[in-house]
Amino acid sequence: MNIKKIIVIYKKEMLDLLRDKRTIITSFVLPIILYPLLMIGLTSMTSRQEIKLEQQEIVIYLNDMSQNEISREIRGSLSEIETLQIMDEAIVYNEDTYLDLLKDKSIEALITVEDSLSSTGYTILNLTCFYDETSEKSSMAYRKIRDNLRDLEEVLISKRLDKIKINSEILNAVEIKKENIAPPEQMVGFIVGKFLPYLLIILTISGASVIASDLIAGEKERGTLETILVSAAKRNELVIGKYLTIITISIITVLLNLLSMYIAFRHIFMQMGQTMGNFQLPIGNFALILLLMIPLITFFSAILLSISTYSRNIKEAQSYQMPLLFGAIMLSMVSFLPGFELNLGFSLIPIVNFSLLMRDIMLNNYQLSYLFIVIGSTLVLDVVTVYISIKLFHSENVLFRTAEEKSLKFWGKNKKNILNLQFVLVYFVIMILALYYIGERWQIQDLMRGLVKTEVLLILLPVIVILRFSKTDIKKTLRLNYTNPMNFLLVIIAALPFLLLAGIVGQIINLIFPLSDTYLENLQSLLSTDQNSIWLIIFVVGILPGICEEVMFRGFILSSLKKSGFWHGIIFTAVLFGVFHLDPFRFLPVSLLGIWLGYLAWKTKSLYVPILAHIMQNSLAILITNYSDKFKFLDFIVKDGNIAYWVIIPAVIIIYFVVKGLHTFNPAETQDNSLEY
Amino acid sequence: MITVNNLSKVFRQQNGEELYAVNNLSFTADKGEIVVLLGVNGAGKTTTMRMLSTILQPSSGTATLEGYDLKKDPQNVRANLGFLSGDTGLYARLTARETITYFARLYDVPENKIHDRINKMADLLDMHDFLDKKIDFLSTGMKQKVSIVRSIIHDPPIMIFDEPTAGLDILTAKNIISFIHKCKEDGKCVLFSTHIMREAERIADKIVMIHQGKVLAQGSWEEFIENTGLHDLDDIFIHYVNNVVKEDA
Repeated sequence: MNIKKIIVIYKKEMLDLLRDKRTIITSFVLPIILYPLLMIGLTSMTSRQEIKLEQQEIVIYLNDMSQNEISREIRGSLSEIETLQIMDEAIVYNEDTYLDLLKDKSIEALITVEDSLSSTGYTILNLTCFYDETSEKSSMAYRKIRDNLRDLEEVLISKRLDKIKINSEILNAVEIKKENIAPPEQMVGFIVGKFLPYLLIILTISGASVIASDLIAGEKERGTLETILVSAAKRNELVIGKYLTIITISIITVLLNLLSMYIAFRHIFMQMGQTMGNFQLPIGNFALILLLMIPLITFFSAILLSISTYSRNIKEAQSYQMPLLFGAIMLSMVSFLPGFELNLGFSLIPIVNFSLLMRDIMLNNYQLSYLFIVIGSTLVLDVVTVYISIKLFHSENVLFRTAEEKSLKFWGKNKKNILNLQFVLVYFVIMILALYYIGERWQIQDLMRGLVKTEVLLILLPVIVILRFSKTDIKKTLRLNYTNPMNFLLVIIAALPFLLLAGIVGQIINLIFPLSDTYLENLQSLLSTDQNSIWLIIFVVGILPGICEEVMFRGFILSSLKKSGFWHGIIFTAVLFGVFHLDPFRFLPVSLLGIWLGYLAWKTKSLYVPILAHIMQNSLAILITNYSDKFKFLDFIVKDGNIAYWVIIPAVIIIYFVVKGLHTFNPAETQDNSLEY
Repeated sequence: MITVNNLSKVFRQQNGEELYAVNNLSFTADKGEIVVLLGVNGAGKTTTMRMLSTILQPSSGTATLEGYDLKKDPQNVRANLGFLSGDTGLYARLTARETITYFARLYDVPENKIHDRINKMADLLDMHDFLDKKIDFLSTGMKQKVSIVRSIIHDPPIMIFDEPTAGLDILTAKNIISFIHKCKEDGKCVLFSTHIMREAERIADKIVMIHQGKVLAQGSWEEFIENTGLHDLDDIFIHYVNNVVKEDA
């Protein structure tokens, strides 16, 4: 790579972008004017609005059904409120119609007064104040009435106490005083810390996405990409030059954002200086956040660059950016949520980690170790995404998607095959929705029956129906082929090692994202024999899913993806299998199992083998959960509920020999890498 | 000089089938020679040009340009090559001079020579009036001139023109054609692709007819007349296409 070339490319891109009005507006002008407009404008407008509201005339109606001395006192007290006017007499036919006056906004509040006698002989007035919470004017009427009547009540009570000669101070047995010890800096941090990460992340992405889509997808659209590809610059030089451009402009954007925000805050606090006392804005925290934004920016820039490389034109790039933007918005909102504290798990999730860390920084309450983990993990992701971007930029399929497809159409034959990737995806989404909305409801009503219904009606039956109607050869699609009996033996040998490996993966995930006890209890109760007999559980949780899920995944889905090539098909099916379990914590171990089952289906060309393997996995898990005390050898492997890590070595060795065995019993010459027969 | 040896390009289609966009193509182009790749739309001309300019990787076979192998030494191939096509664009927000300077730097033209070369080319193509105007404000003809200078600023021994006149008006197209003649006079090796028979007839020293990725026939205009007895390039082309159809049958 030639640094000089990268600089040439970088300089040209900067020049080009700085002449673009869109970039100037979204990246520079918007941040500068946004905060003053947002804060100063908003605060002055709301206070002005409140004053205006405060001065408005409010009309209420008092429906006095007791007509006694106290109720007249109430009327007198209310009429002393400035701007409040009590309607003299309303002509209505029945009581409900008073409410109509409120509804059609003739009045802002309606008060009904009834009296009752307490058992000790005192008159108690029952007041009901009807108002409309969605109307600001009506809410204000309620607040004014409430405050006024509270004062009145105090007066009335002290009158009563006076009458029986008791000092009214007797009522003040406990007095509560509120004293906030948080210094104003921290209060600012608390408020700002909640929305700052969100605002910064969103503004950074939206600014960078405009530039990124222009840099490569824009070049494709304008037909300039070819000219730089044939130039003497290397492709990595082009990518890095463009990457640096996005980073530079994004950093300037963030800098402007923070600066503008800082000045706007200072302005506001200076205005409020008299009430809040003098204090400094935490400028050090702003600086630290700016520093922290750099790895985040490099990360976003790399993703956006990859999207731009992949897209055919700016419009397409923008439509691919939308999910990224939505995802980022959702993840960055975590700083608003109570109860989310930065821990090891969260510090590894992009965006969430920054959102929480920035909040903690604004609160002056962050741990240095997490700061380094967040930066470190993001830098690793950076390298990966930049690498992907360079790879994409080397891929001619990606760079010339439009041009080649046009010429392909010239001779392309249109073969119709219903069972393809698109169909599988649509089907899968529908099935997941059915599983979530219907299956889970069945299972809540009755766990065991619900599971049986889910497996048979939602998983197995639709596949059979689709295969019938698509007129495909069911036996061939589902690989219902005879297979060497030795395969079954091998699968049985591999079952325990595989279960242990999956368990270890689950254990590692548990270390990073500690599971709640309720989650583990739920999982255990599904497998335990407390409520159901062991045979029922083995049938419902072990055997039935083994058959139904294999028919769906390794039968139907894997066969539909045979065009994608061997490993793509198997891995994609395994990922769907992982998603299907609707449990983020089990996604990885389940997907790993999916790869193994897919491999078995492909290698042995028979669905019976993965079915047996699947049944073995589930049933073993059930047996171990319930009879761990009977399997003495397990004490050796499992210590304090954790599987010992040395188990990995023998487990991998056994699986290695099982794979070798599979190769021996299923010779390669009869196979085809396209997953066909 | 360009030597193409059994060059092929296979694309994998969506239905998984393989498609030979270019199939075992071989030809040579010498210094000071204009070779025209002639074929209908979709014949594989652009794919060939893209492979020769190292934008696409050949599936099999190879080619050498000025002695540099396409696969082993793409960097040097690109350095010795100028590429111009009808639909290449320019950066609208840069001026003509900035655009040309950018490409000169990408091609490692020494900094002290860039200015002189731009001036020389501007003299030749009468470009001084708009050298410092932004591309956005230039006419199609002016833009085409900028594109020409961009492609030749590093003075490459080989020029590749992929349908350079497509979509241009007669006057602008004429500029390009005279520029191609100028390249030939300067001793450059010129490869030119088109689907317009007349254009090929006018400028080619040698014509390589391709159809469905394969070479139908190659030779000079005179050789074609001699071999087929026909005098119109349209007829000659159809004659060869029909031959292939008969062979296939």
